[in-house]
Amino acid sequence: MVYFLQVLYAVWARELKRSLRESGQLMGAFSRPLLWVLIFGVGLSPFFRTGLRETSFLVPFTYVQFIFPAVAVLNIMYPAVQAAVSLIYDREFGFFREIFASPAARPAVFLGKLLGGASLALLQGMLVLLLAPFVDVPMPWGVFWTCLLPMLLIALAFTALGLIIASRMRSFEGFGVFANTLILPLYFLASSIFPLDPSLTIEQQQQIFPPWLVFLVRINPLTYAIDTLRGVSIGFQQFDPTAGWLVLSLGTALLVGWAYYEFNRR
Amino acid sequence: MAAKPLIRTQSLCYQYGEIVALNGVSLEMPHGFCALLGPNGAGKSTLVGLLATLLPMQKGEAWVMGLSVRQQPRRVRQQLGLVFQEPSLDERLTVYENLSFHALIYGMGFGHTRRITEVLELVELAEWAQAPVRALSRGMKRRLEIGRAILHRPRLLVLDEPTTGLDVQSRQRIWAYLRDLKNEGIGLLLTTHQLAEADQADWVAIVDHGQLLEAGSPHELRRRHGMAQIVLGLFERSLAERLVSQHQGRWEGERVVLESANPQAFLTTFMPSYGSQVSHLEVRWPSLEEVFLKLTGRSLRDEEATNLEGLRAFAQRGGEHTR
Repeated sequence: MVYFLQVLYAVWARELKRSLRESGQLMGAFSRPLLWVLIFGVGLSPFFRTGLRETSFLVPFTYVQFIFPAVAVLNIMYPAVQAAVSLIYDREFGFFREIFASPAARPAVFLGKLLGGASLALLQGMLVLLLAPFVDVPMPWGVFWTCLLPMLLIALAFTALGLIIASRMRSFEGFGVFANTLILPLYFLASSIFPLDPSLTIEQQQQIFPPWLVFLVRINPLTYAIDTLRGVSIGFQQFDPTAGWLVLSLGTALLVGWAYYEFNRR
Repeated sequence: MAAKPLIRTQSLCYQYGEIVALNGVSLEMPHGFCALLGPNGAGKSTLVGLLATLLPMQKGEAWVMGLSVRQQPRRVRQQLGLVFQEPSLDERLTVYENLSFHALIYGMGFGHTRRITEVLELVELAEWAQAPVRALSRGMKRRLEIGRAILHRPRLLVLDEPTTGLDVQSRQRIWAYLRDLKNEGIGLLLTTHQLAEADQADWVAIVDHGQLLEAGSPHELRRRHGMAQIVLGLFERSLAERLVSQHQGRWEGERVVLESANPQAFLTTFMPSYGSQVSHLEVRWPSLEEVFLKLTGRSLRDEEATNLEGLRAFAQRGGEHTR
């Protein structure tokens, strides 16, 4: 057991050290939320409540407040999926042999990788939360801590997703392209940067938005993840909170299990 | 400890899809310094991969220090120190961090600082401990890998082509470490395609096309598979001429060269009667190169020209170079 934890620690610490020394990743961690919150958020705020479109409800928040949790999620998603690049790196540059030729237990190695990636992602998500006071998003410490649970689950889920993709990819280039084509649609279709009106029935929503859009947003598990975090952080939730937690925890468990299966296969 | 063979295999087979890499290898390596000699693509790395439990066992059995590779892979791993053909260091971590990582995943716990210092001194990298690995030269990286491989005090050190691509100084240093380790009682298994390296081993196995062709000490191999040359300088010309005609000898200047599979037998009968006539006597043993040539039908040196086929096969099965 002690040995198991030592292996886990070694793999975890290595992931962190490697990433924190990579200045490019850190730059991204800072610039991404700034771009979204400051430019998109502040820039689009005036259009949010002016009723350009005839809506039957008013989101009781500024646009920055509305997208703020989603930006935190974005800042978790990117590094989480990118963390899996280290898996390809290890495979390409032979470090896997060092690990797999050792008597270390594979579950410990897997957990180390998963938690390493998830920790980095969570840290970058927390970075966004620290921006809150500057953009008029109330973030008392109590709220800050409760935000960490959904954020951790999201971080785990996307690190697992990254590991799954990396297990099936052969090159760095392919990984980047694939990851981006997956992440961005997933993100934009998660009611991240625009709300669906919760007071409307599906039929009514489909009159305002194109039906395909409503459909995609509603089947996107990330919608519920972001919604849950929004509920916890700014107290606004478009869907049923129980459903949110359910989707979030089940989805995470599923992805982690799948990632473990892929990891063990080779 | 000396009684158990270092490694034993029994009709070991391995296939990469259609390509047969090992075809029924049975061998028994004694304790000490052993070398696997063979051209590229002969199956050496596959054999090492199986012994190191990095490849799944397909057919046959293997034991490392008496432990079954199939049944006790984790205990086998604990006994082994591995130096792979390609570097397997984390370039972004420092020298010390690479070793510390190794210590943890080999169950040495956190109190390993002293051992790391010890190992770094052994491979003469102590002053580089805090340098990132990517700043190291190729030879230094290889030395670090050797240091890492012995960090957890394995009983058998396996090195897959450890000196390939290194300059002469690095090679010599590495050989010096290996000799030290051997004197400390660590078993050594080295794969190589260089005869000079295999010649320094206590025991050599020649492998080609996935099969074991011959095994034994370099001296034994030479005696078994090569003709020794007896070079004689004689005072009496007529005796020399008689020897040449009787034994199909040839002249080398004034000296007579006779080929013999068993020079001792010849000399025991020749010397008592004609010893007084001998002005020069020399027995030339065949080189390992000749033994290799005889067994495999090809020389190791012109391998590049003939090995295109093997290379293609290697590329197809997606060997470690191509991934």
